[in-house]
Amino acid sequence: MSGAAKQSRAWRKFLKHKPALISAVVIVIYVTVALAVIFGNLVTIDDCERRIGPKDISGFGWKQDPERQRQSIEWYIDQIEQPLARAEKKAARKSANNEKQSDDKLLDELRSIEFGRLVPQEFSLAQLRTEVDAAWQSVDQLNEYEDMNQESADDAEVGAQIQSVLDSALLKARSLYKPLESSAAFKRSVNLSLGTDRQGRSIFLRSIYSIRVAILVGVVTGVIAVTIGTVLGLMAGYFGGWIDGFVTWLYSTFASIPNIVLLMLLAIMFRGGEIDDWINSWTGNRLEWLIGGRMDETLIPVFVAFSATFWIGPCRVIRGETMKLRESEYVQAAQVMGYSRTRILLRHVLPNISHLMLINFSLLFIGAIKSEVILSFLGIGVQKGASWGLMINSARDEVLVGFFWQIGAATALMFGLVLAFNILSDAMQDILDPKHV
Amino acid sequence: MAGLVSCKNAESATVVVVSVLDFHFSLPFHQWHQTSMWAYLFRRVLYNVPVFLGIILLVMLALRVRDPVNGLMGKSKTKEAIAAFRSELGLDQPLLVQYGRFVKQLVTADFSEGSWSQPSVTVGELMSRSIGPSLALTFPALVLTTIISISIALMSAWYRGQWIDRTLVIFAVMGMSISFLVYIVFGQFLFAAWLDEVAGWSPFAISGYEALDWSNPGEWFFNHWPHFCLLPVLISVVVAMGYDTRFYRAVMVEESGRDYITTARAKGASQTKVMFVHMLKNAMIPIITRVVITLPFLITGSFLLEVYFSIPGMGKQLLTAVTEGDFPVVQAFSAVFAAIYIASNLLTDVLYALVDPRVRLS
Repeated sequence: MSGAAKQSRAWRKFLKHKPALISAVVIVIYVTVALAVIFGNLVTIDDCERRIGPKDISGFGWKQDPERQRQSIEWYIDQIEQPLARAEKKAARKSANNEKQSDDKLLDELRSIEFGRLVPQEFSLAQLRTEVDAAWQSVDQLNEYEDMNQESADDAEVGAQIQSVLDSALLKARSLYKPLESSAAFKRSVNLSLGTDRQGRSIFLRSIYSIRVAILVGVVTGVIAVTIGTVLGLMAGYFGGWIDGFVTWLYSTFASIPNIVLLMLLAIMFRGGEIDDWINSWTGNRLEWLIGGRMDETLIPVFVAFSATFWIGPCRVIRGETMKLRESEYVQAAQVMGYSRTRILLRHVLPNISHLMLINFSLLFIGAIKSEVILSFLGIGVQKGASWGLMINSARDEVLVGFFWQIGAATALMFGLVLAFNILSDAMQDILDPKHV
Repeated sequence: MAGLVSCKNAESATVVVVSVLDFHFSLPFHQWHQTSMWAYLFRRVLYNVPVFLGIILLVMLALRVRDPVNGLMGKSKTKEAIAAFRSELGLDQPLLVQYGRFVKQLVTADFSEGSWSQPSVTVGELMSRSIGPSLALTFPALVLTTIISISIALMSAWYRGQWIDRTLVIFAVMGMSISFLVYIVFGQFLFAAWLDEVAGWSPFAISGYEALDWSNPGEWFFNHWPHFCLLPVLISVVVAMGYDTRFYRAVMVEESGRDYITTARAKGASQTKVMFVHMLKNAMIPIITRVVITLPFLITGSFLLEVYFSIPGMGKQLLTAVTEGDFPVVQAFSAVFAAIYIASNLLTDVLYALVDPRVRLS
């Protein structure tokens, strides 16, 4: 009865704690997005690996320097010109009677071009060729400026001129493609809202997909590590004797190995994907069903490595607390009344350490997300699709040339989630475990 | 207090202690305290032997899951060559034999086994070569972090609940929510690349390291070290500050609510005196624990910083050794790290007893 009263008091305290409430809402939003990605196919692996435009575009329609704008325009024209040029080369070598056939092939190839919902206009080949030439001519007008970036920075008037030439060239280049319907145009602009990375992939889609990876890594490793830690800690603290000796030996051993060596060894060990196959065949593909049938096997080594190293913290704390609880009056009373040890552990001890499980879970969640970034940096983390670690890691070179959109997006999203968890776990600690330093 | 809890297990672990305790009672009263400390230490060391053996076994097992021979040999290989190479490395023997050989090497402090990926270098040479760069990075970082975060924590505790305290706490939590890698990427960009572009000159190198030359140490201290190591040190200080400040602040706040503070205040001691004399002294135990517990990590170095700034320290060596399947290096490094880790745990308990007269080691 006192347990219920304590819980409701904690609940009231929580409802009064505004930062904690806001954090909880933020976390719920992240989890919802993750669930939508996992079950609702909001963003698929293909989406975040497909090219949708020129490389290194900045987000929010932010005007880049003229040199970059020119590169983007040239890319748009290039996509159409390349197949044309290739076909011309081939035609020069081949006899004239094959020309008809190769034209059809070329048209097919042009029709197959698609990136981010943009497809080429259905012009005839000759018309397309003249359009491409016209587009190149409008870009070539920029040649009269020697250093566009410098000149437009020095003189605002020249800058405006350059910008107008660039705008008209962009229009020309875009006229090679079919104009988009309003819904498609909206979707494309959302996908481009945070810019593109070095391979022309949408940063927006990649960072949304990364939420799935982060939540999966955090939840799975958190749950597994806290479960292992709780079971071992409870047994060690309650039974004592050789069980305690063994558990203490086990966690001292794990804690004394350099953490990164253990993480790397485990991650490399489980890299082959055999474990994934084995788990799936053993559970009758329930795992795949559970997480949407698209389990990337590169997640498994991450799960294993984190779960195997992260259980030590909760185990230590819960063992200490259980040792204290074992001596408490209500547990001793339960022993005297002849309750079985299982019942005492599950009904009397476990509820009284559940707050520690919760706090440790949120701490491990943060730890897992942050460690995932470091594993990705070392090249043994998640490898398929996208994760914040992969994004930050691949943005290393971009930062040196002054392109911040990829690292910015990944950091901002990660910051939101980790900050919310930090505030929430602080609040939980204050409310549920006030004696803790 | 953690030390006292763990002593309980040590008691059941050993019987040898009894003779040591007999010796203890034969001494005059005022020396009892000291001898029981040695007995305690002895017991703890004994208790940690199985832990240490377990660590080595675990590392060796984990290493041997993947066969390193293919990676080490390159492309041209026949079956005979592979078998010959395997027996040369000693991998054809049963695990227990390999384990015994390695433990024997450790006991005799024999680090002369050659590295597998760089056959001309022994493990010992590799270790002694890379420990310097690691320390050049981690030691100043630890000292700076500790001093700065204790100062900030004191300030925060002094203005507890006021806006200064709140801002500091908010900044600490926000700083903790950003990835280490982001700090490194931006730190390197701002202070090396961007500064170089804007000012035409930057005091920091993006990568590289110059070993300490004992014939001209001044040159290294004032020229090479700041050039190669200052930026990584500053980055790691900024990263660690969030965690440390919060921890030390919690310690100070905890202490400031205790009875002796109220008593000191009631007796008319000034705020300054209460904070720096009464409180700081009593907050020493958690501070010492925190510092000593990080000591082993000085040796492994900050592998992220080392890899990113190409500083040839222990962390970087260890990473390359793990990826290349260089078993002797990984094993030896892990064993040394584990030994230092265990030793520093012992050191914490002993320091407890030295700092706090209430703590008795038994």
